[in-house]
Amino acid sequence: MLSQIAFWGAVELGLVFAFVAIGVFLAFRVLDFPDLTVDGSFPLGAAVAAVLITIGINPWLAAVVAMLAGAAAGTVTAFLNVRFRILNLLASILTMIALFSVNLRVMGKPNVALINADTMLSPFFGLGLREVYVRPLFVGVLVVIAVIAVWRFLESDAGLAMRATGANPRMSRAQGIDTSWQVYLGLALSNALVALGGALFAQTNGFADVTSGVGTIVVGLAAVIIGETLFGARGILLALIGCVVGSILYRIAIQLALSTDALGLKASDLNLVTAVLVAVALVLPRLRRGASS
Amino acid sequence: MIDLKDIRVTFGKGTPLQKEALKGVNLTIEEGSFVTVIGSNGAGKSTLLGVLAGDVLANEGKVTIGNTDVTRKSTSARAGLVARVFQDPLAGSCGSLSIEENLALAARRGETRGLRSALGPRRRELFRERIAELNLGLENRMKDRMDLLSGGQRQAVSLVMATMAGSDVLLLDEHTAALDPGMAEFIMKLTQRVVSERKLTTLMVTHSMRQALDFGHRTIMLHGGEIILDVSGDSRKDLQVEDLIAMFRKMRGETLDDDALLIG
Repeated sequence: MLSQIAFWGAVELGLVFAFVAIGVFLAFRVLDFPDLTVDGSFPLGAAVAAVLITIGINPWLAAVVAMLAGAAAGTVTAFLNVRFRILNLLASILTMIALFSVNLRVMGKPNVALINADTMLSPFFGLGLREVYVRPLFVGVLVVIAVIAVWRFLESDAGLAMRATGANPRMSRAQGIDTSWQVYLGLALSNALVALGGALFAQTNGFADVTSGVGTIVVGLAAVIIGETLFGARGILLALIGCVVGSILYRIAIQLALSTDALGLKASDLNLVTAVLVAVALVLPRLRRGASS
Repeated sequence: MIDLKDIRVTFGKGTPLQKEALKGVNLTIEEGSFVTVIGSNGAGKSTLLGVLAGDVLANEGKVTIGNTDVTRKSTSARAGLVARVFQDPLAGSCGSLSIEENLALAARRGETRGLRSALGPRRRELFRERIAELNLGLENRMKDRMDLLSGGQRQAVSLVMATMAGSDVLLLDEHTAALDPGMAEFIMKLTQRVVSERKLTTLMVTHSMRQALDFGHRTIMLHGGEIILDVSGDSRKDLQVEDLIAMFRKMRGETLDDDALLIG
């Protein structure tokens, strides 16, 4: 079994990646845009936040700037797709690849450490609660705020327009919705959330690393799919909660798989385990449907 | 009011597949008039509808809807002036959204969409009332996903959606073609009611000559990208399906070999 520390560590990481999951949900499910930009915008958020914090900028402000940087990355992908008609997947891969270089430029080196620097969490460490609990609690509160904000948005007139754009673009245009603008808005929002996840990752883990983005998309997608498997398609709020729960469960499952000696897995097997988990999560609903029909 | 002035549309200009879909169409439809459009496949019906809806931009000519010149306006930019029901029942609504969400989308057609909740209690009640008027029992299924509905039910909801927001023009694109005869009749009656109640300027493309003559005030026939027949008033009242076919033959001097035109 998992130790307390390992368990709460997994929960914390799951909550950080819940932002990624919600971002991926917005792009993949709401807009129907397979956006791989997240592999670049996650470390971008981490890099921007870490660099700004090391030069003494307020960590909250650093997180906001990180979100803006993420939004800009999403906008570039949208621009390539909308303006030049580059296939959505390819447009996002181009941005993702470009961001690797951008992230190295931002940091000036492959990684930046945040040891001893004040982060968003620092003020909460001295309040008597153990650090293992403070971190997931802090990130959890932010996740709840994000879930409520995204939920209210998607149930507003503006959000409905975005959902319609993904579901039926031709009908959306006939209803007066500028579908190109919706792609810009959706990808900006999605990648801003992912970048916020990156900024929180840097602050909770104490470093930003240029390679930390590899596989972000798969992790986010895994969370979304696990959530859908658990909650089904029953409204926006449950879908968003599914993203969060899926993200946490995914981390716990990974932690369990890696810490169970019987399986003989090593940390370096992480990507393989992730791929297997996502494949299983993709196949499960299909099997269930097959059994019922 | 709809006004088309010398509309020319050429697809694939300068390529071996170049096709003149509309060759200088002039058409004025007065406010509140209901016009039916017939023609064989490739006659230019869809292109004509596309020019009005904004899906097709005319190479030449001028398109006016209401008092607005919409010639260069995109579909979404002119949506406030044009309501539309598609041939494919799946095309006119979002299958993954609920009935009331689809109505909420339609209620803001052509307007800015803000951060206000799309489904407040007052709007919900309004939508429910409008759907109840259909007498299909759908008012108890407002939260059901649209893709749970039959094709006919979806077209009925699409018609309600088309009238949720004000518009100058209603475009019907063979909107009963995919339905069974009973449902098609129901939808046509509903169409008739909606159009006369709201005094909408309506353009209905149809494959059925029967429909073309039974509904509306005026019938036009397209062939090869031109309007070859335009009847209204008394001369239209006396017109039979057989006459239409004969007239078509006479005007073109060709033999009629398109089965679609013969379907009463």
